Amino acid sequence: MNSLAVNLLLCAPLLGISLGAAAAELPSGDEIARRINARDDGQWVSRNLTMELTDRRGKTRVRNTRGFRRYYGEERRTVLFYLSPTNIKDTAFLTYDYPDESVDDDQWLYLPAARKVRRISASDRGDYFLGTDFTYEDIKLESKVSLVDYRRKTLGMEVVDGHETYLVESLPVSDAVARELGYSKVVSYVDTGIWMNRKGEYWDVAGNKLKTIHIKDIRQVDGIWTAHRLEVENHKTGHHTVFQFSDVDYEAEVDDALFSQQALRRGL
Amino acid sequence: MIRGLFLLWLGLAAVSARADIDLTGQLESEWAYGYEDDVAQKWDFKLTPELRSDLGEGIDLTVRLRARWDAEDRLEPGRPSQDSRATHNRRAFSGSRAELELREFYITTAIGEAFLTLGKQQVVWGKADGLKVLDVVNPQSFREFILDDFDESRIPLWTLNLEVPLQPGWEGGPQDLVAQILWVPDPTAHDIPQDGALYAFTTPRIVPRPPPGVPVRLNDAALPDSLVSDSDWGLRLSAFWAGWDLTLNYLYRYNDIPILFRQLTSQGVEVTPGFRRTHLAGGSFSNAFGNLTVRGELAYTSDVYLPTRNRLDADAVVPVSETATVLGLDWFGFTDTVLSLQIFHSALDDDHAGLYRKQHETSATFLLRRSFWNETLTAEALFIHATEEGDSLSRFKLSHDYSDALELWLGLDIFSGDRNGLFGQFDERDRLVAGLRYGF
Repeated sequence: MNSLAVNLLLCAPLLGISLGAAAAELPSGDEIARRINARDDGQWVSRNLTMELTDRRGKTRVRNTRGFRRYYGEERRTVLFYLSPTNIKDTAFLTYDYPDESVDDDQWLYLPAARKVRRISASDRGDYFLGTDFTYEDIKLESKVSLVDYRRKTLGMEVVDGHETYLVESLPVSDAVARELGYSKVVSYVDTGIWMNRKGEYWDVAGNKLKTIHIKDIRQVDGIWTAHRLEVENHKTGHHTVFQFSDVDYEAEVDDALFSQQALRRGL
Repeated sequence: MIRGLFLLWLGLAAVSARADIDLTGQLESEWAYGYEDDVAQKWDFKLTPELRSDLGEGIDLTVRLRARWDAEDRLEPGRPSQDSRATHNRRAFSGSRAELELREFYITTAIGEAFLTLGKQQVVWGKADGLKVLDVVNPQSFREFILDDFDESRIPLWTLNLEVPLQPGWEGGPQDLVAQILWVPDPTAHDIPQDGALYAFTTPRIVPRPPPGVPVRLNDAALPDSLVSDSDWGLRLSAFWAGWDLTLNYLYRYNDIPILFRQLTSQGVEVTPGFRRTHLAGGSFSNAFGNLTVRGELAYTSDVYLPTRNRLDADAVVPVSETATVLGLDWFGFTDTVLSLQIFHSALDDDHAGLYRKQHETSATFLLRRSFWNETLTAEALFIHATEEGDSLSRFKLSHDYSDALELWLGLDIFSGDRNGLFGQFDERDRLVAGLRYGF
């Protein structure tokens, strides 16, 4: 139980607040999820992303990428191009994310060594994305959440990095979904003012604490709240990943042609 | 020529110094030990600098060189003749161990909605791994048979490559519909190791054996040499439709394996390697279904000339047409793991008596790849099995990304089966491999 909830329990009789009334004031988990997904994240965006991957011995690998996203109605297309280092340069990843959650996403990966665009399974979403501690699903969703994969419950409120957050527990709707995602439970800390996650804690399918994602440096760009730093600590492997976003631009229109297999082959 | 390529590189670097330039490269060394015959097959060092530059006006330039030095000189002993290479697509040698090759030299630019890639380049078609059905635009070097990475063994050609986006013309039609038009005025064919090389072909499927005691005279091969009339032409239509990645492919080209035309003379047998036109028409597809991806290719090739053992045949080769198909399944059900199965089938138009191959032949590949430690360690096992001859190739590799810049690997390649088979001919070439690659 979190500290704020404990304090509320202890103080409730003194304050004359009924627990039922306190619970009623908290939005439901589903309502919070809807609010997260309703948050404006722009018609399109372009940005640089630096990935720092650090193993348990402290050895760090750095990848520099440039990414683009664009909405087509409710369909979201995302593409990521690796710029450096040399051994991974020109690798590119493209996703078509469809609004109908019963329809699998379409995903392609371009591997320069093979010079071929490979179709990859969208059910592979629990695998880690190119050596990071984010899964393909984490990468695809960005700051949004799936409405169909989890049952949600609001547990209370807590302060994270000086910001008030709702504490939301999410449990996969089935064992099959849990295995697919690689998570048996997720606890999210959702900012009450801007409806963005500030922290997430994840448990693996065996029920062990798996990883913690800390979202930092959230500020507005072109009027849109934007996370600029994501830190992940994998508790099982001791591996860390830091995503650092820069040159975020929601105003310059992103070219349709970037979201194609031809663009993956050509690179930037 | 080495001096010329070096000066070209310096010149480009100097010119590009004032422009937007990206200079990267790799230094690689690989050692291969043939444990069956206790011989070091190779110990080579490769330097592959790559320059990319924005020339302005929306034009980008890519230049990639490959300098290679092999201490053992057993894969191509001495200086290869390069008869199979067009004069403007040859490697420059210094002694018998060092060579320099212009691997890529092309500009890219948008022309309206279209995209042009002009110059020496690789064009890769198809969805198959390790087996070539549609991936035949560029010829291949068989210096290390098929053990080298295709990216390294594929021979880049001087090519005009124009990609034109098309509109489907009706609602709900295919997305991402693109026509690719190729003009390849470069007749370079496969690099086939000469006699004495470690991976020289011995299977009669490719190199038929003369009758015992009959003297054989081998004439020089003559590549087609007319810039326009001997050019290869290609067209590919690609689209994404209802979840499927689809292509239709057509290629009008010369065969890349020299046809060994035989002529009986009073002195014995005279063999003249030659090249003939073929039409290739086919297509490919891929899609994902849950944990499974499905991919495939089909290609019909006309005028494939195959050697025959029929002594009554006038030139000892038979023109046939071939239909080749490959179906691949990739399963991603286990974390960080890929299981891949491919079935390859080749069918000739008829059961021609005397051919060294059967009318129907099937091969299968099985790949298991798993990554560990946040994809810094990868273990891979690949099996390729030819059903009719019963020969096979097994490959095992463990590679480690020690750092951003440094990759290390160990490998084991095992050939087995009938000496007449494509893989069995190298039954005594099993090898251990160790290598490293440094990126800068």
